[in-house]
Order: sequence, then C-alpha cells, then structure tokens
Amino acid sequence: MSFREQLENEPTSSLPIREAVVVRSGTVVRAAIADMRTQRLGCAVIVDHSQVPLGIFTEQSVIALLVDEASLDERSIQDFADKNFVSVSTRDPISHVWDAIQTNGARFVCVTDEDGKLVGITGQRGVAEYLADCFAKQVTVQRLGSTPWMQEREGA
Amino acid sequence: MLSQDPSSQDPMKFEDPLSDFEPIAYESELHRALAEESVDTIESQPYVWIEPSATIRESIRALHNAKVSSLLVVSEGAIVGIFTERDVLEKVAEQYSRLAETAVSEVMTTNPTVIYETDPAATALAAIAVEGHRHVPVLGVDDSVHGIVSPRRAFHFVQQYDRA
Repeated sequence: MSFREQLENEPTSSLPIREAVVVRSGTVVRAAIADMRTQRLGCAVIVDHSQVPLGIFTEQSVIALLVDEASLDERSIQDFADKNFVSVSTRDPISHVWDAIQTNGARFVCVTDEDGKLVGITGQRGVAEYLADCFAKQVTVQRLGSTPWMQEREGA
Repeated sequence: MLSQDPSSQDPMKFEDPLSDFEPIAYESELHRALAEESVDTIESQPYVWIEPSATIRESIRALHNAKVSSLLVVSEGAIVGIFTERDVLEKVAEQYSRLAETAVSEVMTTNPTVIYETDPAATALAAIAVEGHRHVPVLGVDDSVHGIVSPRRAFHFVQQYDRA
C-alpha cells in the first residue's frame, strides 16, 4: 500500500488534533492575539453559537493587519479572518487534510464532528507528526541542532 | 622482518569481507528515500532573507509582500537568525507601534536549528515534526545559505517518492 493509499484509508481522527483557540466574531484583535500567544497556537477559530466554525484568524492575518497599521483595540477579527478556511470531519480521510495543505496552501485545518461542531485544529504540524510516526526509524535517528554533525561527534 | 601469509598473495584465495553483506531492505521506496536521499533533493528555494539591521516594519512588509511566513536573517553570507510569523505573534504584534523601527535582530530567533544539504532527507522531517520548527534553514557544507525547507516542501518530497 502506498502512503497516499494509507492517507485515503485512515480517518482524520488519527492525526494529532490540538485544542483550538475559540473566539466569537466580535472579538477585538488584541484579545485574539493574546489568546493565541498564551496558548502558543498560530490561529484562532471564529465560531457561531453552535460552535460551528465561521472563519479562521491566523498569523498571516496578524501580518496583514500590522501592514495596514490597523488598530488592535478597535478592529475586530472578522475583518482580517480567512473565510475560505478548510474544515474536515473527524471521519474524513487524512488525504483531505493533506490536499488542503498541498493544493490550497492551508497551514491550519478545522476539525469538526458529524454535526459540524468544532473539535480542534490540525494542519501542517499534525500531518508532519503523523508522517514522522509512520517513518519513525528514518526520522528519529537524525542529528538536529544548529551545528553540523561532524562538529558534534567524538572519536572515529 | 615481517612474515606474510602466503595465501594473502594469491588472489584466487582472497575472501571478500563484504561477500555476505546484505543491503538494507526497505519497506518501500519512500522509506529508502527518507534514509538515503539527501536534503538537497528537497526543494528549498526560493527563500527570502534580510539583514539583521532591517527594521521590524521592513521585515513584516517583506513577509507580507513575498507571501512567506519566515525570513532568513543573513549577515555577510552567514545565517545569524530567522524571523517568522510566530516571532511576530509572540514578540511584536501587541507592541508593534513601539517596536516598528527596532532592528529585527532584537526579536529574531537566534541560533536556529539548521539542516545541511548532505543530511538525509528525513532530517528535515525530524526538524519539523520532532523539534516543531515550521521552517528549517538549509546550509551547504561550508555553512553557506542554501534555502529553507517548509512542511509543504517536505510533503512534496514524500509525494515524489511515494510508490507502493
């Protein structure tokens, strides 16, 4: 079975899914940024009263509003949110998330239950972790750091 | 005087020490590629770089205009840091009016994890998945800057070598 076939057979619930930063549409930008910073997550999901995602406010949104010199205290996040976000169900195959990343350039993907309610967030990080699990022998033996292997080795 | 085993001089009696060597049997071409192909087979360009003296305002405009989420900070051809959207979120955004004219070197991430063009391709995945870096600078063996690997570029590599 190819890796692609594996992605088509496994559900999104197999991916690491992080708890989302959840905000309402009237939230001012500064509050959303503070929540994202505190929870160390690069996006906040705007939901309606039923917890259904309406949009996603990302680090890219933050860059856009800083370039616009927008007021963090006066503007609300829906002005800068991405309304063309990708949302998948926990039962959808992982390939839907993969394709959203590779085709649409999505960094974050909302994960919902069968009723469309937000369950959490996955995306590039989640897929990378899944991939690393699938190829653990190849991935976990690698040198990492800010200096090359040869400078860290001792002996022969 | 050294004595020498006469049989060692007879090529017909030479025994190859690697005669019973069995190459690693990988589960798939993708397993092999991750272990044996090098980082330079993963797309790492284009990339965007700035000088450490660039202001935060200039750096954020560079991120926006180039539609990228990280900039390599390079001085005299050597990488000295990386400035990412995450740095903007965590260190800059809430104090932007005060920090806009500050040098990016004040807020960039110094001493970033790097990978080398000769490292196995799986090293890129390890840096992204295990260490949690979304963007990983790629250096040549002489420490020159070669590019940057992102998750999308790493996933593209996976697609290229994915065969049943």
